[in-house]
Amino acid sequence: MKTYGIIKKTLLFFGLTVFFSCQEDRDTLQMRYPGYFPEPEYTFGNNVLTSEGFVLGKKLFYDPILSKDSTVSCASCHAQEHAFADHGTALSVGIGGKMGSRNSPAIVNAAWQTSFMWDGGINHIEIMSFAPITNEVEMAEDMNHIIQKLSRNEKYKSSFQAVFGKPIIESQQVFYALTQYMAMLISDDSKYDRVKQGKSAYNEEESVGYSLFIQKCVTCHPEPLFTDYSFRNTGIGSKSNDTGRYKITLDDRDVHKFKVPSLRNVALTYPYMHDGSIRNLRSVLDHYSEGIRESDQLDPSLYKNGKPGIFLTEDEKDKLISFLNTLTDFTFTTNPLFAK
Amino acid sequence: MKFNLLAIIVLFISVLSFTSCTEDDEPKTLAAGEVSIEFDHVFGSNQLPFTLNTEFTHPRLSEKMTFSMFRYYVSNVRLKKRDGTWYSVPESYYIVDLGVNDGTHLHLENIPGGEYTDIEMMFGVDSLRNVSGAQTGALDPAKGMFWSWNSGYIMLKTEGTSPSSSDGSFAFHLGGFKGANAVPTVKSYSLGKLVVDGDREAEIHMVANPARLWHEADGLAVRSKTHMPGAVAKQMTGTFYDGIVFDHIHN
Ligand code: HEC
Ligand code: HEC
Repeated sequence: MKTYGIIKKTLLFFGLTVFFSCQEDRDTLQMRYPGYFPEPEYTFGNNVLTSEGFVLGKKLFYDPILSKDSTVSCASCHAQEHAFADHGTALSVGIGGKMGSRNSPAIVNAAWQTSFMWDGGINHIEIMSFAPITNEVEMAEDMNHIIQKLSRNEKYKSSFQAVFGKPIIESQQVFYALTQYMAMLISDDSKYDRVKQGKSAYNEEESVGYSLFIQKCVTCHPEPLFTDYSFRNTGIGSKSNDTGRYKITLDDRDVHKFKVPSLRNVALTYPYMHDGSIRNLRSVLDHYSEGIRESDQLDPSLYKNGKPGIFLTEDEKDKLISFLNTLTDFTFTTNPLFAK
Repeated sequence: MKFNLLAIIVLFISVLSFTSCTEDDEPKTLAAGEVSIEFDHVFGSNQLPFTLNTEFTHPRLSEKMTFSMFRYYVSNVRLKKRDGTWYSVPESYYIVDLGVNDGTHLHLENIPGGEYTDIEMMFGVDSLRNVSGAQTGALDPAKGMFWSWNSGYIMLKTEGTSPSSSDGSFAFHLGGFKGANAVPTVKSYSLGKLVVDGDREAEIHMVANPARLWHEADGLAVRSKTHMPGAVAKQMTGTFYDGIVFDHIHN
């Protein structure tokens, strides 16, 4: 009989994020994150996190087998070098070159998210993958067909059996495996984190930028995740027929509200906003400072002395950008454990 | 060693619980068995036998409709024993589906033997399972009864054709588990006396009436599609569920 809870091997290149231990013949993995992170929203529950399950999830994430004509994988729109956002495209492009209507968000610290998609329509990470897989302009596949394809493939069949110990593959196991991979995409080694841990220090510009950020941005983008996951109207796409959160709640107060995105790795996730309408960080700050117009649903915290917008001087914009650049985590974007 | 100790404890507890059973006032112990629930479907107040791919005329709307699909969730079945206590069927989720063989027949296996007087069931899927991630069985999203872009179960799904609809077709995907427009509805029915005893047949017959979806709702000329939670889903499922009645039992 094996002794429970003994650490079998610690993989250094996984950073501080993960360690493997031995339990019931499977290598169980554990989430690791810094002490200043809150408790994650998703803690795996029935979905027992194992190194084999994580690897299977990764394989699925990179495999176009999940799309109808085997041309599109999750990674087609979510690239590691862009912190799992798109490759610089404004609107996502799926099967047969079909254009989506929104920008592919980064997948970063997804285990902390309370909802998914720009409108928060998806309420649980385990069923997240169901949307892109079945969406006509993304992967256009059917779950039953995917299960047939996976069951015909000897390698997948045996991996699924090894991970979940069930004789047949069910959609739950496909979702569980993809979740194991996605929930482990933890970014916690940016310069911001190293400063936080006392291992590094900001330069002058970054330091002023950080103070400005704390003064002007944390109502919606609070540390350490840089989002409060709420839905807000910041005046983006106010004429578009994508009404955002309203589509889900049908509450008039939610018209054109979108989920506050995390700003971790934001330098890599361009172009910006739910519709990819802003090309660079400078223009984002121009929008906050000069581009916001009054409207009924505009977030109240965006008014200062009765006027809409967060006014910033050109010098303040430079410094804010220096700070935003400290949120880039190259350990995350180059971690071989996340790569194909 | 540890294992042996555990085995002894388990044995001891089960012996204990057996002895307490025999002290019950139940005269003889009845064996566990299957209870089945058959949903019969009729259309309109004159109770025409309802089937897919047959044209019906809705009595209130005078609109012709031909259904190609009719499915709905039934869940959380509980049975009331003669002594007043309830037995809740574990993992009790079913899809009544008129499009598949035996799809209107729910099989509740391994129900403890005894006499039951009432049944309670939920039409729809409880809110908890709508927010609990990837599920299996009747709740598997691969069954086509789950909204991918707005998480939640499609608690009733019907499609078909009608000359009254502007494009000739209709599709109602109804659900929603939040707030005032939450669809799930618990109903209980008095059965008289249902006996479960091993292989002995215990079948409950219910009657549902698809015409009741439009008991109050606008006709297909006004609205032929609904694909989301909201007031329409609440109204249509509400009158349909309301019209589901207990008919008789076979003991
Ligand atoms: C064709 C491009 C495309 C493909 C393929 C794709 N996605 Fe996405 N993904 C998107 C877009 C666009 C969004 C935002 C959609 C929205 O808000 O409506 C998104 C959103 C997400 C989110 C939510 C992020 C957040 O912050 O809420 C996750 C997680 C995700 N995708 C994972 C996946 C997985 C897993 C797969 C493969 C099964 C996948 N995606 C395939 C384009 C794609
Ligand atoms: C009222 C809440 C609020 C405040 C205050 C706010 N933001 Fe945002 N931010 C949002 C929302 C919501 C979005 C997404 C909007 C959309 O896509 O329509 C967003 C998007 C962004 C993006 C784009 C990220 C991406 O991946 O697309 C950046 C960068 C950003 N904000 C930076 C800032 C900075 C810097 C500040 C302070 C000067 C700030 N925000 C203040 C709510 C806010």
